[in-house]
Amino acid sequence: MPVVTFRVPAHATSDVIDAITELGLAFGPRRNVTTTLVDTFDGRLHGAGLRLELRRSELIELVLSGENVVPAHLTVDVVPRVLADLPSGPFRSRLAALVDVRALLPQLRIRMGRSTGVWRDRTGKVVAIAELHEDVHLLDGPVIDRFTMIEVHEVPGYAKRSDRVVAVLQDVGLEACGSDTLSQCAEAAGIDLAGFTSSATVPLAPGMASLEGFRAVLANLAVSIAANWQGTIDQIDPKFLHDLRIAVRRTRTVLGASKSVLPAAILDPAREEFAWLAGATGAARDLDVYLLEWERYTDPLGVEAAAALAPVRDVLARHRAEAHFELAGVLRSERAAELMAEWRYWLAEPLGDDTLPRRADQPLGRTVAKRIARAHKTLIDGGRLIGPDTPAEDVHSLRKDAKKLRYLIECFGSLLPDKPRRQYVKRLKALQENLGEHQDAEVHITLLRSLAAELDATGAAARTMVAIGQLTERLDQTRVSARAEFAGRFADYDSPATKHSLDALLRAIDT
Amino acid sequence: MKVLATYSIKGGVGKTTTAINLAHQAAVDGSRVLLWDLDPQGAATFFVRVKPFVKGGAQRLVKKSGSLAANIRATDDPAVHIVPADFSLRHLDLALDHTKRPTRRLAALLEPIADRYDVALLDCPPGITLTSESVFGAADALIVPTIPTTLSERTLDQLTDFLAQHPPAPLVLPFASMLDRRKRLQRDIVAHLMADITGFLPTAIPNASVIEQMGIQRSPIAVFAPNSPAASAYRHLWGDISARVWA
Repeated sequence: MPVVTFRVPAHATSDVIDAITELGLAFGPRRNVTTTLVDTFDGRLHGAGLRLELRRSELIELVLSGENVVPAHLTVDVVPRVLADLPSGPFRSRLAALVDVRALLPQLRIRMGRSTGVWRDRTGKVVAIAELHEDVHLLDGPVIDRFTMIEVHEVPGYAKRSDRVVAVLQDVGLEACGSDTLSQCAEAAGIDLAGFTSSATVPLAPGMASLEGFRAVLANLAVSIAANWQGTIDQIDPKFLHDLRIAVRRTRTVLGASKSVLPAAILDPAREEFAWLAGATGAARDLDVYLLEWERYTDPLGVEAAAALAPVRDVLARHRAEAHFELAGVLRSERAAELMAEWRYWLAEPLGDDTLPRRADQPLGRTVAKRIARAHKTLIDGGRLIGPDTPAEDVHSLRKDAKKLRYLIECFGSLLPDKPRRQYVKRLKALQENLGEHQDAEVHITLLRSLAAELDATGAAARTMVAIGQLTERLDQTRVSARAEFAGRFADYDSPATKHSLDALLRAIDT
Repeated sequence: MKVLATYSIKGGVGKTTTAINLAHQAAVDGSRVLLWDLDPQGAATFFVRVKPFVKGGAQRLVKKSGSLAANIRATDDPAVHIVPADFSLRHLDLALDHTKRPTRRLAALLEPIADRYDVALLDCPPGITLTSESVFGAADALIVPTIPTTLSERTLDQLTDFLAQHPPAPLVLPFASMLDRRKRLQRDIVAHLMADITGFLPTAIPNASVIEQMGIQRSPIAVFAPNSPAASAYRHLWGDISARVWA
């Protein structure tokens, strides 16, 4: 609901209170409250125009609000870390649509003395509210000058009353400021409430030197890797590993396209080390996906079979914990620290006097066009060799080729004209979905078979083994149907229309 | 947004007190609630201290798209808003009758504000009228206060028969209202209703003086008597309803 805010000079607080008390507002006692602004690492609530506040006084209260949004309040027993910590109901459902698997993290924690002034009409109905926030300061983060704010909240249907409060405050010399108490604190502390979003895209120009463009893309990816590093170690939520893994894969794809652009002395060790890092993330991510998709896999089998599979889920959870422990060890290792330190140093520092490869100075647009055209050709050539009896590894290899192509388009996306890029990516995505479905089923069947052997050796119940059989069969059906669908999907991609949209895309940058 | 309606063919069974207390409970549970007072007596409007006034009266309310939003007022609970009633709603049936699809009209009026609220709670006048039919067309569930008398089952049967003849019917959630636990006959009737009627909710609202005090306090019971048995009963009743509606 509309709020007008004013910064109150320390010496003027009592005059301000007197002025609006005279109007009819009655202030309650001052209570010291701690307010924490909560959001996901990538600021999903902020992006949706919402604000989730956690207010602690005698109770823990969550307030979900926003501009022109009816505020929702919920009292909770524990501070929620993930959505499952909240009771089911509309409050959780609204958040779930935005937050998904992400953890709810404190962005900003402030302490203040809060007193609420209420204006009631003759019947006792509240018609305007003013909140005085005194002695506002940050509890974590940098020290800021303590300040006092007054927020005038419009009560829907009674706008004239809050307008009068605002007018009185202006009469005593206050000027409305554009942001509320929390936003002012965030600004003073230098906290960007938009959070961190792992985007592959950086500003590029077709005419810039290829080396410069590739370095800009790789530097942006290095920022994503670094941003998601600690969250992956701490297992804050599965998206950290997802984003880290994607940033590493994109880095590998760009490095794979960097021959004759980056100096070999830099490129060769980087390719080797990022391959090692990518390999270390695979098991943990596969198990994350398996557990995140668990209900989707098992629910269709029915309640009894899903219950019988509980021991499988337990083993998966144990393997996942082990895989994450191992991954955390890798990310904490000297080798990993050295890789990232050297890599970021090279990306940040001016180039030395080394002789540059032949394409380093060539226009970025031309280099990228050639790389994308080559990646497309690899995909087409590989896809045309896939038949009904082609081994699964070859299909998986084709999936990787498709991903590489997609990553190139995403990483160099700012070079490419928007409309043909979207048209082309739509075609590629349709093929990728089919390949992804096939590969996920393949990986999960293999994993399930190894778990079945493990459980069988420990004397698992017969009903569990039967349910594993059912689940394997179901996954196999998915795999078979994805495989059967492949020919049609690939034919759609391997078409004159795709070629036409790709040509339009590349012509625009190959100058 | 889920649309619930406190509804009964009979009058004086506790529809409005139920609407006010359930709106409060829904807000406590984290919902954004729109209470819509459809009763020309405007009792729900009175309870939340809002002036009984419908801009342009019943006719304009149902005729003009977007008119609902223009009539919304805040209550003292920041998560509960109300569309107040006034005496012009005595002509609501007539006004609805002048619209193209009267039995879908209330649903159509709620549609533009469906994103702003999690729950719309319609406090209905008694009887089976065109307004009731429009409520049935809009509601996901009817919350039916049922007083423990021997005629109650018959009244519920009348409602379910009517709904069966006019599909699609909302979920019907009857519950025992104004139960005087000192009276054995009432206890027996409620036990019988709970056992025999499908969907009859397990929570009974007592006939308590604290409920009558709502008229003086003009607040939900949980605000002025949070530890009373009646406040606790409404909390449980909301739990029963949400378990059924959001199942």
